[in-house]
Amino acid sequence: MTLLINRAQETAGKSVALEDLILTTALPTTGGSKMLEGYMSLFDATVVGKLEAAGYEIAGKANIGEFGFDLLGETSYFGACENEQGELEAASSLLLADGEVEAVVGLDVNGTQRRAAALADQVCVKPTYGTVSRFGTIAVACSGEAVCVTANTAAEAQDVLSAIVGHDDKDGTSLPEERCALAKTAAEMPKKKIALAKSFVEAADDLTKAAIAEFASFAEKAGFAVEEIDDAILLAARPAWNVLMSAELCNNVSRFDGVKYGYRATQYETIDELYTNSRTEAFGELLKATILYGSEMLSEENYDKMYDKSLRVRRVVVEELARIFADYDAVLLPACSKSAYTLAELEADKFLCFKDNACTAVASISGVPAVVVGGVQLVGPAFSDAALLALAAQFESAEEVR
Amino acid sequence: MNMDILVRLEKLNQLRLTEEQRAQQLAFFAEREAEMAQLDAIDTADVERMVHVLPLENVLREDRADEPFSREDLQAGAPQADDGYWQVPRTVD
Repeated sequence: MTLLINRAQETAGKSVALEDLILTTALPTTGGSKMLEGYMSLFDATVVGKLEAAGYEIAGKANIGEFGFDLLGETSYFGACENEQGELEAASSLLLADGEVEAVVGLDVNGTQRRAAALADQVCVKPTYGTVSRFGTIAVACSGEAVCVTANTAAEAQDVLSAIVGHDDKDGTSLPEERCALAKTAAEMPKKKIALAKSFVEAADDLTKAAIAEFASFAEKAGFAVEEIDDAILLAARPAWNVLMSAELCNNVSRFDGVKYGYRATQYETIDELYTNSRTEAFGELLKATILYGSEMLSEENYDKMYDKSLRVRRVVVEELARIFADYDAVLLPACSKSAYTLAELEADKFLCFKDNACTAVASISGVPAVVVGGVQLVGPAFSDAALLALAAQFESAEEVR
Repeated sequence: MNMDILVRLEKLNQLRLTEEQRAQQLAFFAEREAEMAQLDAIDTADVERMVHVLPLENVLREDRADEPFSREDLQAGAPQADDGYWQVPRTVD
């Protein structure tokens, strides 16, 4: 079982692992794909420099699913990871559980890290879109993906997030410094109200429901009113995100063709055979399926009906969240509907990441921050990142008392 | 979605599926098609597209040359290169 695809020399101080969509000059960057096995970048991602400037050492490159959009890393060319109970578990979770690193920094494309943190009872923060530079990350679904942090505690996640937040001239979607800084500052949650997304909870298994109930109970003791809301609009985030993510992924991975870098097939005669054989041999099944779906969504026949429609639904979801956040500090919902998955389940349904991403798609499509703690997910308004983490830390303290 | 369209999509995307994968792919398309009802249920006739969640501005920088990567560095990871050129099969007859 491969936790680190490539390992750095022994680290002595504070160390983090980088998931393997983040480019590094010192170690290869594979994207979890045969296509990029052994690929050496000529530059570091901006977050690498920021982490090192803050005193973190890079322990290695954590194993991820191919291009980081699957359920829990099951599509990695380097093999999926499982825990001692035989359940699928992300490499990042196992590294943190082993105490190998203080945190794992990754690229949240389709909520994989949030699901992983929920299943492993760890903390994950997907920050407000545009507050952490994506320069030097392998682009997959640019309009929604965000550099994220997973750690054992909210305080550790906050420390690492604070180190990487900030404007970057090299990232055209990077916010001005003063707005980025908002994500580091824990403001009060003035409304003292949390919205419970009931449809998402009802679709979850009993253990997940129990985790939601436990957090709701904590929140009420901490002075918050927890109220069920009509979340019908939020349910539309998943199909819309599936369309947008696939369309963007299709375009982004078209650069991998076996010519200038990456895997090249050994058998070909024409240039078309070089492209086709290289991509067919190097790409996994889920990636191929997603490319073909994304391509179809961008076709003349489907562009208006599917892609354009999804862009409009994105606005509807964003406006619905704005309405909710006018009355509530955060939305409480699961990070995934189950409390465990096995490889056998994923082999029986290879496309589960398009179905069990409903809970993560809400923040992915809208760019708002999300924090996972205690097996549940809190989604807040833009720049509430630190406030959500502060609430997560309060929850951890209350758990310790119990 | 049907097999003819799927084969065309494979060609467009420089991919080749096995017959078993094609059957899975058609099932995948059918699943996605079924969830479209959730989108169709939302009236978006008067809703503007939202390509990006942020109001993005075009980012310009000073028009000056940076130090480029060397040809040797750029070709260090090339599958096949010779004498400073990437090698591919003949593209024009």
